[in-house]
Amino acid sequence: MGKNNSSTKETAPDDDSKDEPLFPNFNNFFTEVTLISKFTVNIFKNIFRPPYEFNELLKQCYNVGCRSLPLVGITGFIMGLVLTIQSRPTLEAFGAESWLPAMVAVSIIREIGPVITALICSGKVGSGIGAELASMRVTEQIDAMEVSGINPFKYIVVTRVIATTLMLPVLVVFSDVISLAGSFAAVNIKGDVTFYLFFAQVIESLDFADVFPAFIKTFFFGFAIGMIGCFKGYNSNKGTEGVGIAANSAVVLSSLLIFIIDMIAVQFTSLFQ
Amino acid sequence: MKNSNGNKIRLGVFVSIGLALFIIAVYFIGDKQQLFNETFKISGIFKDVSGLQVGNNVRFSGITIGVVENIEIVSDTAVKVDFSIDDNTRKFIKKDAKITIGSDGLMGNKVAIIIPGTQAKKQVQNNDYLITTIPVSIDEIMVNLKVTTANAANITEDLAVLMESLSSGKGTIGKLLMDTVFAKNIDQTLVNIKQGTGGFKQNMDAASNNVLLRGYFKKKKKEKEKK
Repeated sequence: MGKNNSSTKETAPDDDSKDEPLFPNFNNFFTEVTLISKFTVNIFKNIFRPPYEFNELLKQCYNVGCRSLPLVGITGFIMGLVLTIQSRPTLEAFGAESWLPAMVAVSIIREIGPVITALICSGKVGSGIGAELASMRVTEQIDAMEVSGINPFKYIVVTRVIATTLMLPVLVVFSDVISLAGSFAAVNIKGDVTFYLFFAQVIESLDFADVFPAFIKTFFFGFAIGMIGCFKGYNSNKGTEGVGIAANSAVVLSSLLIFIIDMIAVQFTSLFQ
Repeated sequence: MKNSNGNKIRLGVFVSIGLALFIIAVYFIGDKQQLFNETFKISGIFKDVSGLQVGNNVRFSGITIGVVENIEIVSDTAVKVDFSIDDNTRKFIKKDAKITIGSDGLMGNKVAIIIPGTQAKKQVQNNDYLITTIPVSIDEIMVNLKVTTANAANITEDLAVLMESLSSGKGTIGKLLMDTVFAKNIDQTLVNIKQGTGGFKQNMDAASNNVLLRGYFKKKKKEKEKK
């Protein structure tokens, strides 16, 4: 009797495993990649197809751009300030304190400004889009749009993706400038550097090879944030629980995607340097 | 509706300022690279460019006046470097000016340095070739430093031998410094000289009171008073 029981306990998991895939996480990953690819193709198809939702686009641009500016500005200022204060002792040890503006400018313009701004936007905008679209899905507003003859994909998804793609580079420009202002403030805490000298040293250290690749990659960051946020929200399910999941996974996935895009961009740029 | 218009205006201002900041940055960086100034081209043939790269600055009297535009290998012993120079500085660069390669501080980038020519010469023309001088490389400095270090080592070695001789009391100075008997002899000699001069003074006093020599001493005294 005891023997029979033990044998049934051992064979039960084997029977279940026949129905499940060998590596469920891998299968989910590839399914997700396929769905995201299809979603991206749909976005590009709908961007150029009329009617164009200009008013909604402007509204989304305002939400993404203007409303994120205070957060991006404060973060940028602190970033420049902290980076300068932290770098000073190391440069002082080498007697290269005068290189502080140049070093901070290159770090901010090339890497820190775009990536930190994109991550902040991923947290603020990406999660917002994910949650908003998921709640629209849960409350069947998207279905209602379809019934009333509005293309919900075009109206909701395309406008948001374009808005994030266009507004993130502008936010990065603001963030870079504010970061440099923070750096100028930090340089003057211990030293006495005129604005003109600081500005001249910053410009002297920068090159088109620093500015343009960093600026171009922000369009991709913006696209990734908008696209992932919309994808997670638009395809959410599981009722109200899905809203939270969509917001959370939008932030996680878009943050990861930002780093991957950044890595590819750096590799690609280094080919031409 | 009013709020929507307000938002549009805010968005417009936001985007305009962002774009303006970007354009200003691009303008200043481009201006640094002589992108918006009228420029002229000069070239130089170097044996070794010491790591000079396209985009490095060109300095004249310490002022950045241009950039390195192109670097190409002409032969196994010659590298042609083209420089794009601000046209406003052309009048200061004479035909006999020289170009050398230096570096911006110890850790800085390489820079091309134009050494001014003579006033009497004509100014350079577009596509002119300037005379180049061989830059002092770190390797050469290291070789010189090696020779100097070897000389310093020899000198210190000799100095050590000398100090050893002195401390062991060899030679006159060594004896003077280290030999106690020699020092005692010198001390005794000085005592003898002191005693000798004391005796001599007594003899001279006795002579001045002598009958035979008194007249002579009186005459000397009168002459002294006269003066």
